Amino acid sequence: MADTLGQVPYAATRNPFNYEKVEQIARDLTTNWLTLDEITNQLNLFGDESQDAYLNGLELAVRMHIEDYLGMSIFPTSYRVYYNVSSLYASPVCLDLPEVSYKDNFNSGGIVINKVAYYNGNTPSLLVSLTANDYYYDVTGNKVILPNGTPSNISMNRTSPLVIEYTVNPNFLQAYPVIKQAGLLLLTHLYNNRSETTLTKLQAIPYGVDALLRPYKPLVM
Amino acid sequence: MAIKRYENVDVNTLTFGTDAYGEYTTTITKKFTTRPLVSDVKNSLAITERYRIYQDLIQFTMNYTPWLKDIVDNQNLYSITWRGKDWRITDCLESNDRMSVTLMCYRSDPITKV
Repeated sequence: MADTLGQVPYAATRNPFNYEKVEQIARDLTTNWLTLDEITNQLNLFGDESQDAYLNGLELAVRMHIEDYLGMSIFPTSYRVYYNVSSLYASPVCLDLPEVSYKDNFNSGGIVINKVAYYNGNTPSLLVSLTANDYYYDVTGNKVILPNGTPSNISMNRTSPLVIEYTVNPNFLQAYPVIKQAGLLLLTHLYNNRSETTLTKLQAIPYGVDALLRPYKPLVM
Repeated sequence: MAIKRYENVDVNTLTFGTDAYGEYTTTITKKFTTRPLVSDVKNSLAITERYRIYQDLIQFTMNYTPWLKDIVDNQNLYSITWRGKDWRITDCLESNDRMSVTLMCYRSDPITKV
């Protein structure tokens, strides 16, 4: 039922994609996921430590590929999301996040909100951060709620004056043996095939990386 | 046909010296443990005029790493412990794609009288 202004009650909570753009602002490119013990056992190197630095670099590439394949990070990754104000005049305002993290912690969800800010209407307009009391994260809907609605002096000239920055927590999938095995398979492949070209046609094994990872890829609709 | 399989071996460094009596000494120090593909185990018996000499030959195929490169370049300074015995390197074969190294190792049993 619409109110006198033609707005449907709670409609503000029902637009699942009300962000304008999203950008990745940080990604963990240093922490190793597979341990050197796991790697050297897999490669039959055991105590041969002469290639550890190379193997660590290879391991990071493997983890990045698995995160890219799953469409979600298993190690911390930070994003910045922008919102315009055209559809945000309801109160409370709901800001949907483009994230599909697993809720390994039910209170805080799979992410940490680092900043909720807006560009004010001053000239020049400045970025003003909201205090933690002015917003909260809704774990059930992957969104940030501003209970007091849109800030009153928000810029009307900026295309996307509302900004949220968040970090996806380390995901419990990183400890799954099946995900680790997929990582070891991929690492072995990259270790053994260091060239873009081969003289022979390579064949993938059954139940390889693809088959192991596919069930854990979140469906995004 | 020899059975190819991965087995744990110790790679040792050899240090040569002379003791107080002027005898040559060889000190074997473990450098690392690894897991090569062990293949082509051969036992051969050579009978000279007075002695039987048992010579065992074996191949260890390992991943090509910086340490393995050093072993290839200094074969006389390394030995391999496999099944509790000390094996010396007689030949190194680097694969053409530099992905593996095959070490041919031998072990001579004590000379026995015929």
